[in-house]
Amino acid sequence: MKKSNIVLLVLIAVTIAVIISMVGDFSTYETFASAARQPGKDFHVIGMLDKTRSLVYDPVKDPNYFSFYVKDKAGELEKVVYRGAIPTDFEKSDKIVLVGKMDGQQFECSSILMKCPSKYKANRKAESQQLDSKL
Amino acid sequence: METKYIGEHLLPGELGHFFVLLAFVASIVSTVSYFLATRSRDAINGSSWKKMARVAFFIQVISVFAVFGTLYYIISNHFFEYHYAWEHSSRALPVRYLLACFWEGQEGSFLLWTVWHCVLGTILIRTAGEWENPVMTVISFAQVCLASMLLGIYFFGYKAGSSPFTLLRNDMAGAPIFSDPAYLQKYIQDGNGLNPLLQNYWMVIHPPILFLGFASTIVPFSFAFAGLWKKNFTGWVKPALPWCLFSGMVLATGVMMGAAWAYESLNFGGYWAWDPVENSSMVPWLCIIAGIHTAVIFKHTGHSLKACFFFFITAFILVLYSTFLTRSGILGTTSVHAFTDLGMSGQLLIYLFVFLIPAYTLLIAYQRQIPTVKKEEALDSREFWMFIGSLVLIISAIFILVITSIPVWNKILGSHFAEPVHRRFAYNRIEVFIAIILALGIAMVQYLKFGSTPGGYFRKNILLPTAVSLVIGLLILLFGKIHYDTFGNGFLAALIVMMFASVYAIVANFSYILFMIKGKMRSAGPSVAHAGFGLMLLGILISSSRKEVISHDPMGLLTGVFPADSKENSRNNILLYRNLPMQMADYEVTYLGDSISTPDGKHYYKIHYIRRDTATGKVIEKFNLYPNAFINPKGQQGLISSPASKHYWTHDIYTYLTSVNDPSKIQDTSQYYPHLVKVGDTIFFSNGYMRLDGLDTHPVSPHYQAQPGDIAVGAKLTVYSSDSDIFKVLPIYVLRDSAYENIIPDTLSQLGLFIRFDKILPEQRKIELSIRQSGEQNDWVVLKAYVFHYISLLWLGTILMIIGFAMSIYKKIVPKKQNPVKPIL
Repeated sequence: MKKSNIVLLVLIAVTIAVIISMVGDFSTYETFASAARQPGKDFHVIGMLDKTRSLVYDPVKDPNYFSFYVKDKAGELEKVVYRGAIPTDFEKSDKIVLVGKMDGQQFECSSILMKCPSKYKANRKAESQQLDSKL
Repeated sequence: METKYIGEHLLPGELGHFFVLLAFVASIVSTVSYFLATRSRDAINGSSWKKMARVAFFIQVISVFAVFGTLYYIISNHFFEYHYAWEHSSRALPVRYLLACFWEGQEGSFLLWTVWHCVLGTILIRTAGEWENPVMTVISFAQVCLASMLLGIYFFGYKAGSSPFTLLRNDMAGAPIFSDPAYLQKYIQDGNGLNPLLQNYWMVIHPPILFLGFASTIVPFSFAFAGLWKKNFTGWVKPALPWCLFSGMVLATGVMMGAAWAYESLNFGGYWAWDPVENSSMVPWLCIIAGIHTAVIFKHTGHSLKACFFFFITAFILVLYSTFLTRSGILGTTSVHAFTDLGMSGQLLIYLFVFLIPAYTLLIAYQRQIPTVKKEEALDSREFWMFIGSLVLIISAIFILVITSIPVWNKILGSHFAEPVHRRFAYNRIEVFIAIILALGIAMVQYLKFGSTPGGYFRKNILLPTAVSLVIGLLILLFGKIHYDTFGNGFLAALIVMMFASVYAIVANFSYILFMIKGKMRSAGPSVAHAGFGLMLLGILISSSRKEVISHDPMGLLTGVFPADSKENSRNNILLYRNLPMQMADYEVTYLGDSISTPDGKHYYKIHYIRRDTATGKVIEKFNLYPNAFINPKGQQGLISSPASKHYWTHDIYTYLTSVNDPSKIQDTSQYYPHLVKVGDTIFFSNGYMRLDGLDTHPVSPHYQAQPGDIAVGAKLTVYSSDSDIFKVLPIYVLRDSAYENIIPDTLSQLGLFIRFDKILPEQRKIELSIRQSGEQNDWVVLKAYVFHYISLLWLGTILMIIGFAMSIYKKIVPKKQNPVKPIL
């Protein structure tokens, strides 16, 4: 067997080993309830922003405290706390991906990814609403 | 009955659509003709097919440019009856951003791509010689695919592509406004405009360069494919190599421009976030670079030809795959660069497989016929280690691709994986080892010779650069303050090894230019590019591991609400009231106010930085930064902010706003407070005090015109602010015609002070002053500030690497004038 083939095999083996070990690192999308079962561990939670409840961000009181309510896939409503400033266009988002952990009765989140279709591309629905509103 | 609409400009759209169709048909003709020309055994027949193919291709080129021109005409004339113009532009948009909104949309960016194919194809027709027929078959076919993305025509109920010339009323058919023939005048006076985040000169130059990089990967692919097709397995490498270098150069430029854009004007807090969109542009580049190295090995030794085929084919397939990833909406849950699905993901997937299947089928079918060298590579040969380096690049690409494609795995497997919670670390902890191996390879392998290296040659020549690198590395270790232990000491150790390896890569390549090729710049391209890459690695390492947040919130620190161990959540936002200085690391930082810059509605915030000598308190330096933001731009709420940086050779102070007080919500609720004072008394206010120096019975003030019969008294006040600034103010009390009181206040806008002289109380020898201070409590910003150390190394390294690529291309395409010397690498 040629040396380069041996090296190739070794490298492929290493790659596979690394990727398999990475799969252990992959988190899964959880609900608040399943995140609460393992407090202190970080999870991804997908949910919808509950727009009927207020968003709290008062920089004069604390520029690093932002709280809001999210309903997860299972329909459970939780208070979410983000230690930072309110992200741009937050009020307009509906689907939200949170990364963080349950801490007692609230979800401490370390990053927020919002899905607002308007961010880069307006979606059809929003556009036709916009056209209607011109009347 | 058909409504007759008023004021529409239908001709440009019809022309544009006609040219899209013409481009589509002409590229089909060109593909078929080139295909037949390639297959033809008979020279006369072949050359007439080739003539026809060329004519068709040029018709296609002219059509594509006509489409481009028409769309630009529509956008620049603000014809909002077209959906594309309405969606992406507005009247207020400065002319320099018209091109930016041209390629903001999906259709415009496909158009850009196809324009580059036209340019590359035209050059290939002139230069490819015997390879023209098969290579141009592939490129013409790609043009068919891209033109079909712009068709917007239904085939058997399936809509192929999306036309940029669709009228708003057709696209939004059914909206009630279109029942009015004069809808254009009444309701559609202006377009939606370009997203303020994209109103930036980077948006004008970054997409064309990146798309040129993407488009250029088709050339090496076509050559490799042509080599398989014509069973000329070896002849294609030489003509393809300059194109591969070009592709590597332009793609690197495009990707790094994106990084510079993110760093300079987006508030992502850095230049690289391992976002799927960033990753999917880098992975094809890694593959191209691996391909270039195997092509060089093949040129010199005949080894690695199969790998070379595989890498160049795969690079283009990866470009198609990343186009699918970023434009199909599949990355919805992992990327901040959200592209929503435009209903073209099926079509994109078809194109991916249309290229993938024939190319890999041919490669597998002819696998045994591709010539290989029987003799093994020696362990002390350059080609062996270059090949290992290429494999490491590919492993890095596979690794990044597997994680980035998690949403695709979920779709295929029906699983619910999310990406690792600590995204950056998940990538970095693997990539740091890749970087170490690559940097060591870059440093050492060129000191080996092709074939085998004579004993002592390697040791003798590498001794000096190794010693110099060790010394420099040790100095950086001692004084460079690299102690990033957020993820443990193991990772820190890996970072330190990477630092040594990067220094080694830089030093060894410079020493190679100086001592091995004796400064012959014609052959120095690879070494310059490699030194640049080493410099990039060092810049990335230092700037990321030493990235410091200096805007720590003192309130949080005092209350201890936030435990120190929660790193990702550290309280990084600081509230600054106007004129109230706060200490941030070495800097005393004050927000001094904002100004709106017309006409785009951008606010600039003046942030004043002062650094003092800690011992003496003397000011060492002071400067202003102007981070800016759009507040409540059209269609959006909140703040879209861009950072401002103070650049030094050794570090950048990087500041951006995360929140401001909405000016529309500010209500000045401050009120006047009376103070009874006599001469010599002081009055305190929030950030300073004032002293009544005396009374002036003949006050002179721009606000006061003395009239006969006036009894006027001015209160001479000296105001001392906490910034040790001193001001004089003179509020005036006037008794006109012995009866009518007239009060002329004085203001000090810098401190938001309003001072009134209300009363004179002669018996107490006192006066009454009323003071109001506004703004301070109402006017504030929340900002984040970082220090990036040695980020200039990253940009410098990038430029050096690009220069190195350019030098190598020059050497390949410009023949040497004097007697030939043995080429090095």
